[in-house]
Amino acid sequence: MIARPDPVAIGRVVATELKPSTPHQFHFWTANETTIGIGAIVKVDGGRVVYGVVTDGFAYSDLATPLHDVIGAEGDPARAAASPTVRQEIRYWTAAVLRQIPEEPLQPVPLGQVFVASDTDVAQALRMDAYLHSATPTAIPIGLYTSGGLEAPVYLDADFLLGPEAAHLNISGVSGLATKTSAVEFLLASVFRHFPPHKGKVAAVCFNVKGPDLCFLDQPGDLSDEDRRRYERLDVPAQPFERVHYYAPLKADGVNLNTLRTHAELVDDVTPLTWGLQEVVDFAEVLLNRDDIDAKADAFIDFLRDRVLGRSFDDGFGNAHKVETFADLERLFRSIFDGLELTGRSDTWRTHHIATMRKIRNRLLNISTRCKGLVTDDGPSSDLPWGAFEDRTVYVIDVANVDPLGQDLVFARSVSKLREHLERRDLGVDAVIVFVDELNKYAPGDGPETYVKKMLLDISERGRYLGLVLFAAEQFRSQVHRRVVGNAGTQVFGRMDMDELATPGYQVLSPATKIKLATLPVGELMIRHPHFTQPIFVRFPKPPVLRGRDGMERFPAAIDLSFADAVARQLLQLDRRIRPNQVKDLIADRTEEDVRRALAAVRQKRPDEVLATFRKALGGRVAPDASRERRAVPPLNPISDEPY
Amino acid sequence: MTWWDALVRAGAVPASYVPPASMGGGRTDADDGAEPGADLVEGDAVDVHAVAAAASPPACFLDGIEQWKVVGYDGVLPVVRAYVAAAVRRRGEDRRLRTAFEGARDFAIAPLAGMTPERRRALTAHCPDVVEISVEAGTQPGRMLELARRAVDSARQALERDLAERALARLGDAEWLVVDGLLSVSGRLAGHPRALGVIKSHGAQFFTGMDLERALTLPAGHRTSVFRARGGHARNEVYSWYLRLWPWQGNDLLYGLLRIEARADAATIAAATGTSGWLLAERAPIATPDVRWDRLLYPIHDVETYLKARAPRDLLASRASRLPRTGT
Repeated sequence: MIARPDPVAIGRVVATELKPSTPHQFHFWTANETTIGIGAIVKVDGGRVVYGVVTDGFAYSDLATPLHDVIGAEGDPARAAASPTVRQEIRYWTAAVLRQIPEEPLQPVPLGQVFVASDTDVAQALRMDAYLHSATPTAIPIGLYTSGGLEAPVYLDADFLLGPEAAHLNISGVSGLATKTSAVEFLLASVFRHFPPHKGKVAAVCFNVKGPDLCFLDQPGDLSDEDRRRYERLDVPAQPFERVHYYAPLKADGVNLNTLRTHAELVDDVTPLTWGLQEVVDFAEVLLNRDDIDAKADAFIDFLRDRVLGRSFDDGFGNAHKVETFADLERLFRSIFDGLELTGRSDTWRTHHIATMRKIRNRLLNISTRCKGLVTDDGPSSDLPWGAFEDRTVYVIDVANVDPLGQDLVFARSVSKLREHLERRDLGVDAVIVFVDELNKYAPGDGPETYVKKMLLDISERGRYLGLVLFAAEQFRSQVHRRVVGNAGTQVFGRMDMDELATPGYQVLSPATKIKLATLPVGELMIRHPHFTQPIFVRFPKPPVLRGRDGMERFPAAIDLSFADAVARQLLQLDRRIRPNQVKDLIADRTEEDVRRALAAVRQKRPDEVLATFRKALGGRVAPDASRERRAVPPLNPISDEPY
Repeated sequence: MTWWDALVRAGAVPASYVPPASMGGGRTDADDGAEPGADLVEGDAVDVHAVAAAASPPACFLDGIEQWKVVGYDGVLPVVRAYVAAAVRRRGEDRRLRTAFEGARDFAIAPLAGMTPERRRALTAHCPDVVEISVEAGTQPGRMLELARRAVDSARQALERDLAERALARLGDAEWLVVDGLLSVSGRLAGHPRALGVIKSHGAQFFTGMDLERALTLPAGHRTSVFRARGGHARNEVYSWYLRLWPWQGNDLLYGLLRIEARADAATIAAATGTSGWLLAERAPIATPDVRWDRLLYPIHDVETYLKARAPRDLLASRASRLPRTGT
């Protein structure tokens, strides 16, 4: 606690008929040389205690008109500066009321003395005392309020940050200052340290959507002594995350990881993320654009999902199918189209029009081409540990280099799975924070109603009941869907663009607050939280992890390995006893397709005897099946023939 | 309960009349005494000397205010509430003025002898500071108000004199005391080598003929020769001269015209141009929005503003109309 035995008044409330005190706003003056500024929290003691935050400041002198200054100086500015006496001037501040004690009856702010707020005052002013000192505290440090040489931790209420009362956090700010990502990294560390025990376990799923931003969360960054002191003050360990699991799709070669975390020292921690038909088809809507979505397409997808996938199925032309992979699906479609053509039947197969089938086929098979490496057209999938999420663990899904369609698919499926498991309470943790950057892209205020946008809306509106919490960041808050932003209980603002601040969403802020926001230094944020009646400025320490750019310098990405080396490395990750040459010998005369399939099987099973399993998987399917030859997907019929 | 409330309870008729003279607006250097005159002590005739603005020395500035209003009538006898205050503000190295000395007096003025016994008792019992004005039976209320004004004026002068003498005792080695008004009201002030009186209201004319014309048509940035001020107001001998701060052409003869009073000493004559130089520099900043800004030095204006800010608000004339309310 800050020791301040004798508080000294720094100002006095003044009220005039033109600018009276109200229950929500008051004005005060200070000495010309004062430590307070915009965002400072002050305390008024004048019979009742009122806490306020400074929202605007004015300085003026007794000069009636600027012309009088010109006259006095006889037109010479230098003489004006040299006048024997300095004019009387005032530092006049406007403050918005944060809290009044007693709260009832609500009355205008009294004409009392003004003091700088202490630690205790800040806690009271922001109503943090209720959740900071309760029997089951739910306080999560977000940063340090600093003003007038004083420094006080500011806490968010976990019940309002992570549910169930309110939830979600939205952070806005200009790009390039690393404020948004840094703030979220710090806040995650803070949540992991202070998540109340009675609320259970918590984990975070972070989507790395650009560059190496989140690729080094397990590596220590450079912290200054001042940063360390702030960590100590906030009781957050100044250490990187202890448990981070990385997931990244493979590249098109099916063996090299499609991530920037490929340095030899780090790549072992990265688990391939590959999905097959079964994983994709449930989210086929993601792959369809607005024009594609109709009852016929939906019906055919449902038909595939319910009647075809994973079942023995007769196509009606004498061919039996069991569709488990994209390759199987392609064979089924080919068989149907050939059958229809050979038999000269109509354009309808089992009530589904051939154009509908062609469209769905194109969309589904297209994903295996556009997102090759994420979506395998053959072989089993490799996925996040659904049902076995660990407490205080970060799961980073690196989709930075994935096709936008693939990013949508990854996001949609991952969030859906999280929701499913949280609904069943079998995820392994009680709450999951999902961090999504570039919300402008995924949930824009205008544009088409995409599946991803609908999912984000769903999380925003219903996630808090499940423990599914969205931490989202964007550059332009005004361009994000209003309901996504509006449902975020906690709003965080870094340095903002003036154009953005001119949009209607910021009308509630005073001009001075806007100027402060537009010039906010790195490491300082403005916070809005349900308990705070006014925005509060806080400083937060640099995150304790290696920043993406620094990480790339310290751990530069490795160049892609040859196919054989990449396979060997993946097997080596599963079993350290394996020697690369053993693997190379094994795959020397095998097709890459077979090797990938075998590798995927091993990854899925994670057996004790990795090499033996790999050999077995490889040996069983040496000869390529003629029917499995990958053929190019025929183009769609000309658009004019489409009934859509 | 205030003393004027007690007076009303005792049967006086409440009143709220702020005479125009109550704000000190009528103060001049004119005096009720002998005709003013001047003896030149610099040269043989009133001459005009150019003055160049110079850096100001460390200085304190003294000014006083007076406010009064009729708060009740006992019959036609007015009972006045008066407030006088004065302050000395010292200019620091940061060029800002801060209060060094100040004093105030809130008192009643009444023709006690003519008042009914119970109202006189009520007044003296509830007001610890009553100044009695002696009036003969049948004196017109207007005359009584003039007597009240003089009593207030006298109280202000006494307060200013007291503060000035206290300030002189604490004046720094090179520090000046600049007084708004006559220096000659105090022997100690009039005799101090670094005390100046700055008079901006010219009720008294010390010259006649060509000398008067030269004095009143001074160009801006010029002073007259130094003269010894004579007259009933000059209870203590002082030297004086006129100084023009702003060009009068296009305005008025007295526009921007100050009369300076200083110690009656040969050194004053020698320093008159230099002293005028730094007084000339005090033109800036301009003392607006005061209408007397052409003659009002900003530091004096500052002292006045300070005093007015601390004066009781209920002595000010109401901005509302004094016409009876019609209820419409």
